[in-house]
Amino acid sequence: MLERSKLTLKMSQEKTILIFTLLGAIILAFIVIPIANTIATQVILDADALIKTAKDVAVLKSIWLSIYAAFLATLIALILGVPLAYLLARRDFWGKGSIESIIDVPIVIPHTVAGIALLTVFGSHGLIGYPLSNYIGFVDALPGIVVAMLFVSVPFLINSAREGFESVDPRLENVARSLGASRWRAICKVTIPLASRHILVGAIMSWARAISEFGAVVIIAYYPMIASTLTYERFLSEGLSASRPVAVLLMVVCLLVFILLRTVSARWGRYDRD
Amino acid sequence: MKKLVAVFVVILLSCAVLGCVTSEKVTLKVLHAGSLSAPFEEVERLFEERFPNVDVQREAAGSTKTIRKVTELHKEADIVASADYSLVQDMMMPEYADWYIQFAKNSIVIAYTNDSRYAEEINQDNWYEILRRPDVKFGFSNPNDDPCGYRSQMTIQLAELYYNDSSIYDDLIEKNTNLRMTFENGAYILRMPNSEEINPSDKIMIRSMEMELIHGLDAHEIDYYFIYRSVAEQHNERFLELPPQIDLSSVDYADTYKKAQVVQSSGNVITGKPIVYGITVPKNAEHRDLAIEFVKLVLSEDGQKIFDELGQPPIGPAVGSGNVPQELMTLICQG
Repeated sequence: MLERSKLTLKMSQEKTILIFTLLGAIILAFIVIPIANTIATQVILDADALIKTAKDVAVLKSIWLSIYAAFLATLIALILGVPLAYLLARRDFWGKGSIESIIDVPIVIPHTVAGIALLTVFGSHGLIGYPLSNYIGFVDALPGIVVAMLFVSVPFLINSAREGFESVDPRLENVARSLGASRWRAICKVTIPLASRHILVGAIMSWARAISEFGAVVIIAYYPMIASTLTYERFLSEGLSASRPVAVLLMVVCLLVFILLRTVSARWGRYDRD
Repeated sequence: MKKLVAVFVVILLSCAVLGCVTSEKVTLKVLHAGSLSAPFEEVERLFEERFPNVDVQREAAGSTKTIRKVTELHKEADIVASADYSLVQDMMMPEYADWYIQFAKNSIVIAYTNDSRYAEEINQDNWYEILRRPDVKFGFSNPNDDPCGYRSQMTIQLAELYYNDSSIYDDLIEKNTNLRMTFENGAYILRMPNSEEINPSDKIMIRSMEMELIHGLDAHEIDYYFIYRSVAEQHNERFLELPPQIDLSSVDYADTYKKAQVVQSSGNVITGKPIVYGITVPKNAEHRDLAIEFVKLVLSEDGQKIFDELGQPPIGPAVGSGNVPQELMTLICQG
């Protein structure tokens, strides 16, 4: 009797797993099919165009610019976002709830709207752009691209880092301090290493989000062209057959970077679990 | 839990059923050029007031795309309205339509705000001098992507001829971008490089679509930009009207406009011509009679008033070509 109920339990568990696998497969297919289809169509039907595109200096430049600008945006997000994430995780203060909501706003608002807001503020007559206009120009320049990317991607980093800090027991930090470490030292030697996987994942997400940005960037900086702008541009002026190779190339490059970073972060994972 | 799911399903189903029941109205499908959105919204309102059982569904897109929806995707449409009447003639006739009517026009103007540099000085005779000044910034949309973009280039090309000053295009465009114009066989030809090679200087702002430049003007990033008169009017911007010899507004100067050509980076050759809107009822229209009522409204006094107020002056009387339906004959003259 006991054996039998165990068996049914096991079977029902198997059933759950089976259903989950099925549902999971559907959503996975939903993601994979468009990507694989785009890449496969290009490689099978028009490999020549892909090769030609891979040698096109304008395309390579735009992909490099996307990667580089997204890297700069992520770097700034790390320097300015991680401290904020720490405060949000460790301290309770008045207005904390609203600050957390504000951080999520860039995810919610339409990208074009974000671009218009940034152009208004960072333009050469804007609130921030005007005082800086003698030193740095944002419109149709690299700083403008970075600003747009930073705006839409920084929430991912802050949220992920905050979760990381929250997952670290504050007592560990206190122990370090009771042993004579300064707060700064305790954070650097104990908390940040323990939260590092979250921070890294946040940085990857933030970088990826930055690379994919288009709507906000084109408003403030149509030039120099990043890969997403160039893809759109080729689509408008020459059609799908000219824009797809650019998109495929960007996809492949991003996929490689992603796999590399995920491998690194998986190794990192062992460190904070032990 | 099961109950909850059941209730949810019932709600969903009833919504779906109700949705079907309420959409019993006749749907009139109108495909039109993006720049007709504002006036057609008004016409739609008026039409639905007069025909309460009709639901007008408008779909705005670029003119070429609008027509391709019918000719290549075989989408059913009751009305097709294009920002370039000749596209109806070239792409739809005789297979998909056998008539069209030229009903409204537009022009290229220079829009600005009160804060634009030298806004108080600018007029029809000195605009190119003002744009030449080193502290003035101006914008136009990308000629590879946008009809407003190549039309703006044509206006500047034609300005050399009209003002008899062969350095206007050099000073305004060539010195600040990689665009190069040549004069061949009595025509000005601009051969567009790829978009990423246009390389504008600080003086010039280029965006893919004309609508995106509005933000540049609002943020005072540019002082002036080339745009359709209707867009400037609908956004309550100040604008300078240009002489009809260069602003592409008048059928009378069609021969002059022909002297300006733009070759897009895709190889597509575009010759200057008046910006005249064309409307037709395609042969596959499901509700032909209602569609003709819609055209009647566009051509009527009420309709013309709407177009006039929104900066797309109506052509009165409208000019018909081809096998125009009998019902519309009183409203047009045969072209």
